[in-house]
Amino acid sequence: MNFFQAQDRARGKTRLLIFLFIAAIASLVVLTNLLAAVALGFGLGPDVLAAQPPEIWLLISVGVVGVIAIASLFKFLTLRGGGRVVAESLGGQPVRQNTENPQQRQLLNVVEEMAIAAGLPVPPVYLIPEPSINAFAAGYSQDDAVIGINQGTLDLLNRDELQGVVAHEFSHIINGDMRINIRLIALLSGILFIGMIGYGLLRGSAFSRSKDRGQQMALALGLIIVGYGGTFFGNLIKAAVSRQREFLADAAAVQFTRSNDGIANALKKIGGHATGSEIKAKTADESSHLFFGSIKSFSRLMATHPPLEDRIKALQPQWQGSLSNDGNGRTHQSTAGFAGTNASSTNRPDAVVNQIGQGHVEAAATLLQSCNPRLANAAHDPYEARGLIYAMLIDKNAEVAQGQLDTIHAQAEPGVPGYTERLLPLVQASNSSQLLLLLEMAMPTLKELSFRQYKRFSNNAAELIVFDQQVDIFEWVLHRVMTKELYAHFEHPHRAAGRIGSFRKLHRQVCSLLSAIAHRSSAAKNSYEAGAKRLNLTLPLSSLADFDYEQLNDVLGQLRNLKPLQKQQLLEACAAVALADGQLHPDQHALLHGIAATLDCPLPLSSQPGSAK
Amino acid sequence: MELIILLLVLAVLAFWAASIYNQLVALKNRHENGFSQIEVQLKRRYDLIPNLVETAKAYMAHERDTLEAVIAARNQAMAGLEAAAGNPGDGTAMKELAGAEGILTNAMGRLNVVMEAYPDLKANTNMMQLTEELTTTENKVAFSRQAFNDQVTEYNTYRASFPPILFANIFGHPTDAQLLEFEDSAEIQAAPKVSF
Repeated sequence: MNFFQAQDRARGKTRLLIFLFIAAIASLVVLTNLLAAVALGFGLGPDVLAAQPPEIWLLISVGVVGVIAIASLFKFLTLRGGGRVVAESLGGQPVRQNTENPQQRQLLNVVEEMAIAAGLPVPPVYLIPEPSINAFAAGYSQDDAVIGINQGTLDLLNRDELQGVVAHEFSHIINGDMRINIRLIALLSGILFIGMIGYGLLRGSAFSRSKDRGQQMALALGLIIVGYGGTFFGNLIKAAVSRQREFLADAAAVQFTRSNDGIANALKKIGGHATGSEIKAKTADESSHLFFGSIKSFSRLMATHPPLEDRIKALQPQWQGSLSNDGNGRTHQSTAGFAGTNASSTNRPDAVVNQIGQGHVEAAATLLQSCNPRLANAAHDPYEARGLIYAMLIDKNAEVAQGQLDTIHAQAEPGVPGYTERLLPLVQASNSSQLLLLLEMAMPTLKELSFRQYKRFSNNAAELIVFDQQVDIFEWVLHRVMTKELYAHFEHPHRAAGRIGSFRKLHRQVCSLLSAIAHRSSAAKNSYEAGAKRLNLTLPLSSLADFDYEQLNDVLGQLRNLKPLQKQQLLEACAAVALADGQLHPDQHALLHGIAATLDCPLPLSSQPGSAK
Repeated sequence: MELIILLLVLAVLAFWAASIYNQLVALKNRHENGFSQIEVQLKRRYDLIPNLVETAKAYMAHERDTLEAVIAARNQAMAGLEAAAGNPGDGTAMKELAGAEGILTNAMGRLNVVMEAYPDLKANTNMMQLTEELTTTENKVAFSRQAFNDQVTEYNTYRASFPPILFANIFGHPTDAQLLEFEDSAEIQAAPKVSF
């Protein structure tokens, strides 16, 4: 199953989720009515029960549905802020990108390598103050996703195991599981709410001395029983939506790290550890399906996660069942089918696109090391990262460059212009793929800015881009990546609807996109036709005079609404245009990267063909 | 029917109050976490100062008073930082830190003036590097302080807005959080002056 199929399947899950949710509400309504009938019947006698007007049952039903709906709606509104709201509600604290704590530094490195390997935006990391081994990924899209890690995970796992856990979480980001997960939180908090009222009332009535105490207790117990019904259905829903995906995510972790042992040993440590993967935070119940390991022990039917033993067996079929295994005598196995995604094979369009959602951590680590260490450090400091981005935007033409520096002098915070000037020679000595890499590394750092600082920064960057009245490809890609990722964090997460299943409605847009790529190659017409043929387009190559970047942004904005499988075809066509003359021009590679990023398809930078220099 | 409507209205109100509570907690946590960035930069500054003094000592043996004043002020500021880090946003702790920082900045200013008389020292590579790094760190302090103050302001504004102001007291947010303002802030905010 490739990236696009996984996305497509995740979309299908939404329907299942809605069905199960409605079934759960219906069952809770019946349960509440039944309970009320029993209470009336036993408490006041069957005559009273029979004498009740029929409307009372309707009222109870409306009440139950109303309370669930209100609870879910409020949770939904709270979660609009995206992944960081989930992490904060679980008590998470952001890990600073320039942290000097070695444990946290290692964690950030692992996350960064994994993100670069997968071609995803580097997510901010939150530390959850719990001593057990667990982790989660949350968010609406790749751009507002965050990773949460328990302190225990850092204390107890070694780097390989940590890498396995982080890779597992990245698979949830890639496969589109997160979006369902975050909606599921809202729905579950509604279903679980009735039980919570019951517990609240019970606690309240334990201290009250009024004569209604007995009645209050009875009501509380009734609500708790109904609440158990809610918990039951909630867990069934979680199990239905999330259990199978844990196996998939484990498999993806193996694919990223090319090793079965990291993640298998992490699972064994959970099994051998006293508190396992348990989470104590009160709010954890409604988000238990986000986590790496199950947060409580459930019976088999309702477990959010498959049993540890089954997950380990799936990773290591020869495993004998000892949980405190030290991982001696490790066997690094490459899983068949993933081994051959090397640079040499990227000359076919489908090979380029197939890299989406694949990736190799070690390749990414090597790539990261090719960056100038001084620039890499700058990318990890909120103050310096801005200077770095400004330096990337300074023109090679001395006259333009001076004008741009004057702009920064006038508008940026004190000290930044000097800093930019000092980084400039290092930036100009780097190639464009290294700069794109540094840009990605700087993104989680820039997400640490305050809103006012972000506004000032993004205005300055925009001004530098248009300073010379023209936009080049690198500037365009940089602007695309930056606005997309930072906007989702600071303003609000965007949700690509992804409802358009045919190119017919977007015929003109597809043509102008392919034309834009074709004009970067030597024989524009031939290249264009190589892509147009794949999608059966009839419109001819549009002329270069019609092209501008603003229009390209509009076109991409509309193409984002394609369904995942159509996006795959579109990207394959784009790659076909770029590769028609037998080589991938660096400009075209950058353009492809910007297009894929805008369409939310993570095209790894590590897929750099050898020719791009 | 009226009863059900009343209950639903009550439920909406309860959730609304709960969301105000959550928002207050979230904003408070955010600015408290924001302080850690200032802490990192200030610590870096306090680590650099003894190195700078050590290098200066070799050249300016006659200026012991100035050097000792810098070290004393640095130690004072470090104690202030520790107190503030335990309770970011608290009025007294923030003001104490700001005061200690002011004294340190003054002492550093005097050192700079004295250093003018020692051209050899100013030309020392090590010294030039340290001064450079110290300037960058000070800019970083100003920058992270700005971020922190933005977050504090966001919290204070939300707390004082209507309706949260009705609940702020009951929910355990009785006072505004304190901004961290240094005496030199006017200078840092202004564009750097170039003098010849």
